[in-house]
Formats: sequence, C-alpha cells, structure tokens
Amino acid sequence: MYSLYARIQFSVLSLCFFTVGALVVAYIGLIAVVMSYAALTVEFSQSVKNNESAVATLEARYLAGVAQITDTDYRAEGYAKPAAQVFVPAKSVTALR
Amino acid sequence: MRAQFRSRIRIVLALVAFAIVCVFARLYFIQIVHGQEYALKADRQFAAGGSGLFDRGSIYFTRKDSSLISAATLARGFLVAINPQTVEDPEAAYAAIASVTPSVLEHDAFLAAAAKKGQVYIEVAHRLTDDEGRTLAARAIPGVQVLRESWRYYPGGSLAAQSIGIVSYGSGDTLVGQTGLEAAYDGILSRSEDSLYKNFFAELFSNVGNLLVDTKDVREGDLVTTIEPEVQTRLENDIANLHERYASRESGGIIMDPATGAIIALATYPTYDGNDLSEVDPTLLGNPLAEHIYEFGSIMKPLTMAAALDAGVITPETTYTDTGCMTVNTRQICNWDAKARGVIPMREIITQSLNVGAAWVARQLGQEKFRGYFTELFGQKTGADLLSETSALLGNLSKSQQVGYDTVAFGQGIAVTPLQMIRALASIANGGAMAEPHLVGTVRLNSGITRELDWAETTPVFSGEAARATTEMMVALVDEKLENGRAKIPTMSVAAKTGTAQLTNPDGGYYADRYFHSFTGFFPAYAPRFIILLYTNDPQGVTYASETLNATFLDLVHFLIEYYTVPPDRGVTA
Repeated sequence: MYSLYARIQFSVLSLCFFTVGALVVAYIGLIAVVMSYAALTVEFSQSVKNNESAVATLEARYLAGVAQITDTDYRAEGYAKPAAQVFVPAKSVTALR
Repeated sequence: MRAQFRSRIRIVLALVAFAIVCVFARLYFIQIVHGQEYALKADRQFAAGGSGLFDRGSIYFTRKDSSLISAATLARGFLVAINPQTVEDPEAAYAAIASVTPSVLEHDAFLAAAAKKGQVYIEVAHRLTDDEGRTLAARAIPGVQVLRESWRYYPGGSLAAQSIGIVSYGSGDTLVGQTGLEAAYDGILSRSEDSLYKNFFAELFSNVGNLLVDTKDVREGDLVTTIEPEVQTRLENDIANLHERYASRESGGIIMDPATGAIIALATYPTYDGNDLSEVDPTLLGNPLAEHIYEFGSIMKPLTMAAALDAGVITPETTYTDTGCMTVNTRQICNWDAKARGVIPMREIITQSLNVGAAWVARQLGQEKFRGYFTELFGQKTGADLLSETSALLGNLSKSQQVGYDTVAFGQGIAVTPLQMIRALASIANGGAMAEPHLVGTVRLNSGITRELDWAETTPVFSGEAARATTEMMVALVDEKLENGRAKIPTMSVAAKTGTAQLTNPDGGYYADRYFHSFTGFFPAYAPRFIILLYTNDPQGVTYASETLNATFLDLVHFLIEYYTVPPDRGVTA
C-alpha cells in the first residue's frame, strides 16, 4: 500500500516536472521559430522592396523614353508626314494571321 | 509519515502551480500590458536612431495592353547620420561623405552639426544610391552611420502629378497623402505600423483571429488607375506646347471613355515634379480640373440643344430667324460676328456657333425646364475620386431674368469645373446618360484579392434620339466647318464643338479682349471610345478657340486613332 502511494506521488511529481520542462522547451522553441520566421519575413520583404525600387528605376527610364519620343519633332529628324494614310476595316486580316 | 509526505507533495504542487501562474502573469504583463514599450525598446536597439522604413502602397498607370507601370512607388537607398560624440575628425568625415554623395549638408552646416556634442544622432545626407551607400559604409568612418531609408518616388516625375498627388508630413510625424489620389485613397495606400517581430503570445492573448487572417491585408493595397502613360505623356506634351505658344494663364485637358467614365489622361499646365517639391508653388499642388471653375463658352451649346430636343420643344428640322443681335433685359446678345443669318435650321446653331440661336432654343425650353436640365447636369459634384471638387456656380438659373438663361445657353454666366463639363458633354456621346468620371479602376489588396471599384452607375439626362441628333450636328461642324472642312477624316466620324468665352473682370462685367478657350470632341461619333476636353485660359494674341485648340485637338484625335488602332467607322468598304 505504501509503495503504491509512493509510486503515485512519484508519478505526479514526475508528470509535473515533465510538463514544466516540456512547456519551457516548447516556449523556447516557439520563440526560436517566431524569431526565425520574423527574420526571414523581414529579409524577404526587404528583398522585394529592393527589387521594386530597382523596377521603379527602369520604369522611370521607360517613361523618360516615352516623353523623349513624344517630344521629338520628326520633321527636324528628316522624316516627312505621309502623303496619304489608308485605313482598313477592323475585321480585315492578313494572310499571315 | 504518509500524511506528512502528502502535505509536502501538496506544498510542492502548490509552489509549482504558483510558479506557473507567476510565469503566465509575467508573460501577460510583459507582452500585453507593456508590450508596446518593449517593442519600441527592441526597435531602438535594432536600428539606433532609425525611425523605421517608410512604407506605402503603389499607384499604377495602366498601359493599353493592361500592363502596369508605377506612377508612385517607393525608392530605397541610404541615409547618412553622424554621432557627434564619436566623430573623430569632422573635416575628414565631411570630405569622405562629400566625395561619395553631393546630397550632404553644406560644409559649414555639417561642421556645426558635428559640433553638437550633446546629441548622438544627426542625419546629414539622404537618398544615397545603393552603390554610394555601400561605398561609404565600407569606409567605416568613425561616428558616421550609413542606414537604409526609403522614400516616395514618382517614376514619371511630373506625369499626372496633380492627379497622383503628394505625400508629406501633416499635423503628426507620419507621411500621409496630402493631395490627389495619394490623399483620396490614403486609407488603402498607408501602411499601419507593424512590429518587426510578431508577438505570438500577445496575438494569442488578444486576438486569435489575427493569427489566421490579417485584417490589414484586406484593407491595405495598391491602386490601379485608368491613366494610360503614353496617352498621358502625349496630352501633357500638347498642353505644354499650347500653353507656351499662347502664354496662357492655365491650360488643361481630359481624355475620357464616355461610356464608363474612365479617365485615360488628364493634364494641366503649369504643373510640378513630384520628386522635387523644394521650390514648388503651393498653388500648383491642387488639381485645377476638379477645383477651378470656368465659364466654358460655346461648348455648352450642344447641351442646350440636346435638352431642347429631349424636351420635344424643337426638332432638328425646326427653323428660326436669326437676327444677329437681340436685346434682353437691357443687355445685348450677339453672334460672334454680330451678323444675321435669316431663317436657318437648328444644326446651324451648332455648326456656326450662333449665340442668338442658342438663346432662342433656351426660350423654347422655358426657364423651368432649362433649370431642370442644367441642374441635372451640373447641380451635383461628379463624385470623381479627386478630393476638393468645387461646386458649379449656377446662380443665374435661380433668378427669373431671361438674360441669365439666354447667356447660360451659350456658356456664359455659368461656371463649372473641367471635370463637370466633360461629364456633362459625355452624356451626348453616351446616348444621353452621364457616367461617373474616375481615375482608379481597381484596388489590388495585400491579401491578393483584386477589388474592382464600382463606377457603373449612370445618370440618364437626355434620350438617345436627342443625343444622336446633337451628335450629328457636331459631326457636321467637323466635316464642314472645322478648318474649312480640311479637318474632316474620311474614315472616322468626329463630333466636336469649340467655345470662346469672355473672361470676367473684377467689376462683375466681362473683358472685351480677354478670353477663355475650350474645345470638346468625341469619336467615333456614333460609338465613341474617347471624349476630349481642352481649354486654355487667357491666351495672348488670339480671339477664338478655333485658332488655339484646333491643332491640339486634331493631333490628339489622330494620335489616339493610331495608338489604339481605332477601326474606321465610315468611308471604307468591308
């Protein structure tokens, strides 16, 4: 009878210690996971932002190119206005299509 | 022994339970009660002196092939800060920084900053490129820190600047949208403060839902406008040339889809570069297209005509006797050349732009009906997504003097914004119904969902028959009168109308020699894809809009036909 009580008491104690230990390990593990996740998120986010910034630079060059073409006086570049323009119906297709 | 052992066990268990409660209580106090405080402390340790990188959603132009080009986005680079307490040689530090970037403070200002030994962080240079930042960081100058920074960047510079808007510090210490779309959609573009590391336990305690669905992601996003960058560039270029050629006070234009209200391009001149606001006249920061009101002149005549046709008081075949001038309430109203035309049909009022004819039509309509139509057209703001829209001035329509109605019939005595004007004129192009003008078509939320904004509501004003009959008159103007018929495009029906209004003087009257010029047109006339409104305020050395705006309008029409490959609607056999 005594040994049974002792075993039960011992089991409860062990269970408590085990639970506390598991909680501590889980807590530390979760912190590690959360920190790693946050670090990766930040790193990826920064990478995306850097790429967006690089794309914005290219877009600025594209828009500057459009502005330059629009502002170009084609006559001054030696081109002449077409003598005639021929419009075709929208449904017309070429043999290549 | 057994009882003693049991009581010890209970004490141990109680201690363990107490410890657990303490741990949880401590967790609660650290992560919930004082969480913000600790987060700030952690952020300060992470980036000394840094205030966190500025973040904000993007605004996009939409090309004709539906690809997106940034109108407003974030640029990233570096800033340079010094710690005056640890800068060993300010002269050498300045020389090193200045050799890398020209954006550093002036020499004397830098030395003065370095002399402030009571401070530990002073920013001395901004917006360094990646290469510049890394070069400077590699030199490891004592007391000089090179830190990441981001800032609002407009790749197009001045492209649609007054519509895109700006961000700046308002009353607080946060950058917020101040004008244009930046302000109108600030709630979507702004990014709420996000802690660097997600506080799992705090989230668990306070808001389990946020762990599963981030509410910010369904609120924050990017804007996709209906502005086409190449059309916008063309319009701005044309408007700038027009403005400079005639030394006007202000010029502007809008190109819109009359059926949907989607604005494809809108420009005013003078304007500014959103990337360099250091010397910008603050009066330019608003959007004149929504905020300035003008008397538009004869481009109002098609609306008068459509109203009378819709009411059934005239038909296209109706005739009247044009006397050249008429006196109403002691005031004389004359045609632009003061010449009498005799008995003529209604279309001549539009094609020859006859003021006496427009006044005659207004009288057939009667004051009450006239007021009803024009209140329907201009009595409400357009609801466009541009802030600070000004209400139209319709005061003359609340009086009983007939001269007020007669003058409104040809566009004097009523002042509206360009946006209100194109919305009203688009009703003629759109079978009699006004669409809602707008700049933003869709919002791309951070959650990945693309939300189409609902701009589908239209306001019917005229019948389809009245709109078509008016359109035919405007087409006749282009085919027969504009540039003496040379402007006619054999393969494309274009409807248009010019407008010349006298400018008001400070005494309440009108200048005899100062004008406001306007021009509107749409094409293909009977199934329009584009409506154009142009204006120039107080052009020098010219009297009539046909002298200033014809060329700009026709250039835009030909450009749009070619750029969008608009198929012919006449003159071609299939």
